Amino acid sequence: MTRRIEQVVIVGADAPAWMAAAAFQRSVSNAGIRVRVIELPTLLQPADAYSALPELAGFHRRVGLEERLLFSLCKAVPIAGQRFSNWSGAAPPFIHGYDRPPPPAAGLGLTQLWIKGRQKGLRTEFENFSLGAVAAKAGRVPVPSEGAELRSTFGYNFDAAAYSALLRHFTMQGGVESKAASVADVEMDGDRITAIILGDGERVEADLFVDASGPQAVLIGRMPETEFLSWRAWLPCDRMLVASAKALAPLPAFSQISAFRQGWIGLFPLQDRTAVVAAYDSRQISDQDLLNDLPALANLPISGDAVVSSLAQGIRRRTWVGNCVAVGESAFSLEPLDAVQLHIAHYCISQLMTLFPVEAGTFPEAALYDRIIRRAAINLRDFQFAHFKLNHRFDMPLWDGCRDAAVPETLQRKLDIFAARGRIALYDDETFQEHAWESLLLGHGLMPQSYDPRVDAIPEQEHIAKIQARLNDIVGLVEAMAPVDDFIAGMDLQRQAEVTALG
Amino acid sequence: MQQVRDIVVVGGGTAGWMAAAAFAKVLGTQAHSITLIESEEIGTVGVGEATIPPIMQYNALLGIDEDEFVRETNATFKLGIEFIDWRKPGSSYFHPFGLFGANIKGGVGFMNYWLRWVQSGGDPDFSRFIAEGEAAREGKFARVPPSPDGQLPRLNYAYQFDAATYAAYLRRYAERRGAIRREGRVVDVEQNPETGYIEAVKLADGTRVAGDFFIDCSGFRGLLIEGVFKAGFDDWSQWLPNNRAAAVPCERVGDPTPFTRSTAREAGWQWRIPLQHRTGNGYVFCDAYISEDEASRLLLERLDGKPMADPKILRFTAGKRRRGWVKNCLAVGLSSGFLEPLESTSIHLIQVAIMKLFELFPMREVNPVLIDQYNREMDLIYDHVRDFIIAHYKVTDREDTPFWQYCRNMDVPDSLAAKLELFKERGEARMIPGDLFSETSWFAVLYGQGLIPRSFHPVANALSEDELQLALTRIRTAIRQRVDTLPSHAAFIERCCAARPAATAA
Repeated sequence: MTRRIEQVVIVGADAPAWMAAAAFQRSVSNAGIRVRVIELPTLLQPADAYSALPELAGFHRRVGLEERLLFSLCKAVPIAGQRFSNWSGAAPPFIHGYDRPPPPAAGLGLTQLWIKGRQKGLRTEFENFSLGAVAAKAGRVPVPSEGAELRSTFGYNFDAAAYSALLRHFTMQGGVESKAASVADVEMDGDRITAIILGDGERVEADLFVDASGPQAVLIGRMPETEFLSWRAWLPCDRMLVASAKALAPLPAFSQISAFRQGWIGLFPLQDRTAVVAAYDSRQISDQDLLNDLPALANLPISGDAVVSSLAQGIRRRTWVGNCVAVGESAFSLEPLDAVQLHIAHYCISQLMTLFPVEAGTFPEAALYDRIIRRAAINLRDFQFAHFKLNHRFDMPLWDGCRDAAVPETLQRKLDIFAARGRIALYDDETFQEHAWESLLLGHGLMPQSYDPRVDAIPEQEHIAKIQARLNDIVGLVEAMAPVDDFIAGMDLQRQAEVTALG
Repeated sequence: MQQVRDIVVVGGGTAGWMAAAAFAKVLGTQAHSITLIESEEIGTVGVGEATIPPIMQYNALLGIDEDEFVRETNATFKLGIEFIDWRKPGSSYFHPFGLFGANIKGGVGFMNYWLRWVQSGGDPDFSRFIAEGEAAREGKFARVPPSPDGQLPRLNYAYQFDAATYAAYLRRYAERRGAIRREGRVVDVEQNPETGYIEAVKLADGTRVAGDFFIDCSGFRGLLIEGVFKAGFDDWSQWLPNNRAAAVPCERVGDPTPFTRSTAREAGWQWRIPLQHRTGNGYVFCDAYISEDEASRLLLERLDGKPMADPKILRFTAGKRRRGWVKNCLAVGLSSGFLEPLESTSIHLIQVAIMKLFELFPMREVNPVLIDQYNREMDLIYDHVRDFIIAHYKVTDREDTPFWQYCRNMDVPDSLAAKLELFKERGEARMIPGDLFSETSWFAVLYGQGLIPRSFHPVANALSEDELQLALTRIRTAIRQRVDTLPSHAAFIERCCAARPAATAA
């Protein structure tokens, strides 16, 4: 007979494990479900930073974590977008801004107007029609205002260890039990875990085991048919280097991602430093050579130690087996690009919350969870691969290989339809919506051949006026936004005011 | 092929004129010519037609004034569909447009809380928590402005109108904007010998109508899409065995209801669509279980007003044209597929085809990538609607006639089987963005048909008993507040959009 879920055990470390714990604690623990964390040793290095999409703010709101704590405790910097340079030959750098464009009037978005404008000689780049991108270039922070037609929002960069500690503290305060341990063994009954045996011999039973252990896949990796399916054919970087450089002043509102001969390098501004991340292909350059090149590639003096680790992009054949669910990078992993790292954990946790099992029986939710996670993962992989596929860096083995790589059918369809008509064909479970894809594809130089015929029904004067109006609106909105440093200082003032009030 | 300039619509009726009106508005008749060929000989079917809320988008595209439109098509407003005898004889439920309950802060979907409440003895009539359901029950309707604080629910609606006057209304609209109607019957088609593209159609009187792009609105037979291009047809009658309808208008006996009624019958179901001037009725059935004569006889027997004509028999097969777009020909309406009007999707599927064509319309040469994408997207929409309609037949307690025995025991598509399984387990009717029928719709129909979830999301248990009561009471109060202030449906129509006598006589 089946019965209700009573005990959930999360095994993992760092932000993903504590995000899962916080999410459960805020919802199901009130429904009489006990949540316990088995905390594995951290995988983080001192220089690690997380780059997060704006959606993370929704997670914080849901669990009740105050945003200002990120700025005061985790050295967070608000990020309006990501800037890509040196990927596509002569094409200028571009910014993927975190826009929430208005729903297209009568099905006709500004992108279609822009494409026709471009064909008629419009010089203004697409990114100038993105509120987030323009804010990013101006070093200002887009705060979404209720009811505004044009909306943009910000994500964050912050210190990974400090954020994990904050979440840990927050969750423990909420009453979640935890124990620092390692997993020595797993007791199985068929494809179900009956208990895990910790390093100190303790035997831990649960109705549901959540694997938030990242690439180690401590639990899911021991389940049947869960081998790791590599995506290296599309995402070639297998090494990652993390280091720190001094803080940028004034603080920019974007992360900078530059391609180089053997990979890419990202500069992620934090309040007190700049996190430097390089992802590269070990077949093209050794760790030592990269380390030597690092100051030149970053164009910044590197301070402290650089740490090198391996990268593996891919997905487990199954992400929920029996009573074991993988969340975060134990389910699938990507390049540390496009701010998807924490997003992977966030996405998996939200899906698990929606499909949180009713009973500790046959788990009919598993198949749907796996299907959703797989589709979301493939969509994200395609998004990342598009950066590589559309490159214009010739006579460099890594980049030539990416251009020549066989394109997954899912992405090929998107590219073809966009090339033909400037339309993004979204699949189910997409993280990045039309605007993000448009920024990416146009930014990397994929110019549509035609546009929606309804644009031709708009008289030329009106067409020009609409484009001009959008540019003016954006300029006006950006002028009213606070520069990054002022924004952070404002957060701090708010905190000081509260401390004073409490004192 | 050069720039697509001349567009030819083959066939009038609702599909043809909806297409022509949209082309006339969007593409205009300056750079394009829009010609519609129809024959008075091939009459269209003029019974009541019910719609769903997305029709607002089509009307908005055309810039139609709602009151004028309602007046000229003898329309009434529709808040949903009442299903009688579907779960079992004597049962009924309401499938409303709109939202089920309201969000409960920090929680999961409303239906989980509602299920918890019902499991502990609450009223199992879910329409009490849907503003449209309450208004429909009381015969009330009005266009309501959104409440400033968002505290009061909206009222979502569509229309019920006379399809023949709707087509006539759109014809006037299209012709005013320069679309050209040609009387005639297509007897021959000229194709380019190399590309196979249609270059012209020939009419019975010998006229040749050339075009760059052809819209096939010729009805079930698919004169161009099937007759010329052999696009193929996926037959769905194993899941949707109904293949006939007997239709008849009758006199109006009371104030028109702001909803459509669907009553399950021994070998199918009967529709009742109230218009301003009369009531449209029909019996959709499968001729393997009841004869045309018997169905017509029973239909006449079961009218609530005096019949205004003899029942007309329509014949069809449920299914979808395998490719709705081939080369320079797009099928719109019945030529692209047929799903019985159980959920009022006929006009919607026409509208979707037209809107998608605009998005993917060829500027110059027809691009196979765009055609393929169109066909894929339409397949997803058709499959989704198909599954939703099949669910009405599969999920039932009825086994009182051979027809219902067949339906209840048939195998259903895997996509639907998986959905039913998960719903039964936990009330989850997850929708995919872009799906036509919302979670509320799926919930209303599956629950109403008798699929009672065994459980619900565990988070719904996190609310204490008193908080749950308070939340439900607040939502109920807001719904009552909204509904109490509404006028009757009849009074609303009388005040702003009663049909003119001339239109009534038409």
